[in-house]
Amino acid sequence: MSAHEHHISSAKFLWGVGIALFILTVLTVAVTWIQIPEPWNVVVAIAIAVVKATVVAAFFMNLFWDSKFNTMILIMSALFFMLLIGITLLDTLYRIDPVPSF
Amino acid sequence: MATTEETPTRKIQVKRFKPEEYPEKHYLNQEKGLWAWLTTVDHKKIGLMYLMSVAFFFLVGGVLALLLRTELLTPARNFMTADVYNQVFTLHGAIMIFFFLIPSVPAALGNFVLPLQLGAKDVAFPRLNLASFYIYVIGALFTITAIFTGGIDTGWTFYTPYSSTTGGSVAMMTLGVFILGFSSILTGLNFIVTIHKLRSPGITWNKLPLNLWGLYATSLIQILATPVLAITLLLLTMERVLSIGIFDPALGGDPVLYQHFFWFYSHPAVYIMIVPGFGIVSEIISTFSKKVIFGYWAIALSSLAIAFIGFLVWGHHMFTAGQSSLANMVFSFLTFLVGIPTGIKIFNWLATMYKGSIDLKTPMVYILVFLFLFTIGGFTGIMLGALSVDVHLHDTYYVVAHFHYVMMGGMVMAFLGGLHYWWPKMFGKMYSEFWGKIAAGIIFVGFNMTFLPQFIMGSQGMPRRYYNYIDQFQAFHQFSTIGAYIMGVGFVIIAAYLLHSLLRGEKASSNPWGSRALEWQTSSPPDLHNFKHTPVIINGPYDYHKPMSEFQLGIATPHNGHGHHEEEGMDVAETEKEKA
Amino acid sequence: MSGTSATIEKRLDHLQHHFIDSDQQFESAKLGMWIFLATEILFFGGLFAAYIVYRSWYPELYIQASTELNTFWGAINTGVLIGSSLTVAMAIRSAQLNQIKGLIYNLYITIALAFVFMVIKYFEYTHKFHLGIYPGEYYTFEGIAHEKANIFFSIYYMMTGVHGLHVLIGIGLMIWLVFKAKKGAFHSGYYTPVEITGLYWHLVDIIWIFLFPLLYLID
Repeated sequence: MSAHEHHISSAKFLWGVGIALFILTVLTVAVTWIQIPEPWNVVVAIAIAVVKATVVAAFFMNLFWDSKFNTMILIMSALFFMLLIGITLLDTLYRIDPVPSF
Repeated sequence: MATTEETPTRKIQVKRFKPEEYPEKHYLNQEKGLWAWLTTVDHKKIGLMYLMSVAFFFLVGGVLALLLRTELLTPARNFMTADVYNQVFTLHGAIMIFFFLIPSVPAALGNFVLPLQLGAKDVAFPRLNLASFYIYVIGALFTITAIFTGGIDTGWTFYTPYSSTTGGSVAMMTLGVFILGFSSILTGLNFIVTIHKLRSPGITWNKLPLNLWGLYATSLIQILATPVLAITLLLLTMERVLSIGIFDPALGGDPVLYQHFFWFYSHPAVYIMIVPGFGIVSEIISTFSKKVIFGYWAIALSSLAIAFIGFLVWGHHMFTAGQSSLANMVFSFLTFLVGIPTGIKIFNWLATMYKGSIDLKTPMVYILVFLFLFTIGGFTGIMLGALSVDVHLHDTYYVVAHFHYVMMGGMVMAFLGGLHYWWPKMFGKMYSEFWGKIAAGIIFVGFNMTFLPQFIMGSQGMPRRYYNYIDQFQAFHQFSTIGAYIMGVGFVIIAAYLLHSLLRGEKASSNPWGSRALEWQTSSPPDLHNFKHTPVIINGPYDYHKPMSEFQLGIATPHNGHGHHEEEGMDVAETEKEKA
Repeated sequence: MSGTSATIEKRLDHLQHHFIDSDQQFESAKLGMWIFLATEILFFGGLFAAYIVYRSWYPELYIQASTELNTFWGAINTGVLIGSSLTVAMAIRSAQLNQIKGLIYNLYITIALAFVFMVIKYFEYTHKFHLGIYPGEYYTFEGIAHEKANIFFSIYYMMTGVHGLHVLIGIGLMIWLVFKAKKGAFHSGYYTPVEITGLYWHLVDIIWIFLFPLLYLID
């Protein structure tokens, strides 16, 4: 039972995913033209990037059909990255410069 | 969580396979010649090659430590200059941590034991396993080159901006450690996949030996933390080569950011060093108490908990580095959490020994030493984790003593325990029990003589890494130096009787300790493919109340799903007596 | 398990002795690759962390400095990488269906797109070098009125440089796959190297999906 339920996507489906990613790329460039105010432009850009990454992971990397453990690994690595950045920011955001503009 | 679902309703025919005693052919002599060793993909031989390498680096690091202690006999200069002294303590730290402690249990003992405890023929990626050994060797070559092309004097932590501006070959050394990181990552990756995918029939997650839980937690840290060290050292190398300035305040960078990145790896890394030691302790305590381990899940899950909490506490190395006081408080609080799972472990081990029939063989002696020393190391760690106390004790000998109590008193003792415990399995020879206990005693005495005075010195204000000191500390330093030499004698004795046992040692039976764990249910030394059958597990690895015959089962039918390679093992198996 | 084994008996040369069957070997390789990808995420994570920390300190620096990056070419490169991800996915599909020719052609297109990516990157880099935008100490560009502009470009060069290195490694792997495919090593029962190289390539794509808005689109 070698080819045991390996998911094979149809060519049409793969092209559909690719085109969706192209559209999202155009979208993420387009939203910079309408100049969303400061914190929200980053939020929108990251949100679109997350959507794109999720689409790639789920449908190109086949996580949607794959063992849930592989998804867990991906999510876990993202969480540990957030841990790194989150706790580092606890320092860097609340540091008072001993010498201004040092 | 379990991804290999053994269909639980499937019935398989099993019969008993008694391990062959004193086998003629085993993994040590089935393939001959140096070339066969250097290109082997057998996890046992790779484990032994790692063992030789870490033993070599332990010797180098140990000699460096003795040099340091000798220099510190008097406050003034004895025989090395201050610059040489700086290089020697840097090398002692870097070699002991990156070349001995990190690969010692996972890569050396773990490689040997992990597939045996799973009943697998090898790790999931044998060639990758060999590759990670050679990556380790290449990293070591880089480091040795660094020593002979200028040396480094930054301390093993390579703090910027000193490390990006000082002379010597820091870039070479950090590249060496960078390469070493890949070795560590690949080993961890290999172990996780092996534990997930190559368990023998019947080894469910609640029958996994605790050693493997320890290795599993270690591997998780290895794969999640080591990449951050890799990028940090890459940035540091770029800092030296291209002056990119991310960490260099002279160019607009931030040196504390380096410390964050470095300790994001290096704090979990001390758990890479100690957690596999916990696994060994669980194995040995249960075996030599002849008792079911107390609190299996508590010990198993506390390993994972330590691995996770280890990621939350790195900032306690930076209390005086100028990080924000908010971060200081958070890190101090989180640091105390580490004590909880560690305490759970200690109590469960004690409860396992309680009313057990304790057999004080050398491995068990080391584990008792471990429990004593590690507890001291742990408690002093809690003191250091307290923010206000640490401001006083930071960068003193108190920290040095704490670290050595945890790493040497904890990890090295567990490593020695594991080495003695699995020595008969590795080579089929018994070491001298008498000399084993003598050496353990000498090391225990020497260790405490070396490091107890350092707690006192540290609390009185003796800073670490100093070449000179005021006269008031001389008595402590001399006591400490004498202790270090006693400890050195102990290690020489160990090396002597272990080598002697290889040549003249009594032959070991397949299960000299009467253990129920799977690695003892094959011959000593094991066959090239570990087992000549596919082991089947129906009891946990610590079920000493069940008869030995229930632990030596294997799949009876020749068509056992183990593919086309199985025939060779089967004709041996058929001669064994049948069991339903 | 035993029923189908006769039909695939002829192609078991890829099966290593310590695995029970191809399926176990395939799943192990894939799990191993996913774990490796987790390490890649944390490897880049360090750089992203440096990016975020400096951005939280000097938000105005990022807005000024990213005007020096050409959004048009960044977007083109994003498109190129997404296209290459698509062709890798098609290559895996071809392998699964035993269409070795399709596999090879799709790999060729992927390699070509990866080269296009690197060429565009090369022109972006040389343009900046021309202006004197070097990392760290060697930074001589006068156009950005911010004292930490060199740090932004250090981070930029590290992120895109390490990413570019991954693209180069990916090209190497893909060329190796083409050679193996031409020798007939892959078929519908065994295409593990194609699958896991594909996973790697998609991750390189995902990293760029984040790099593009973070570096190019913030002005």
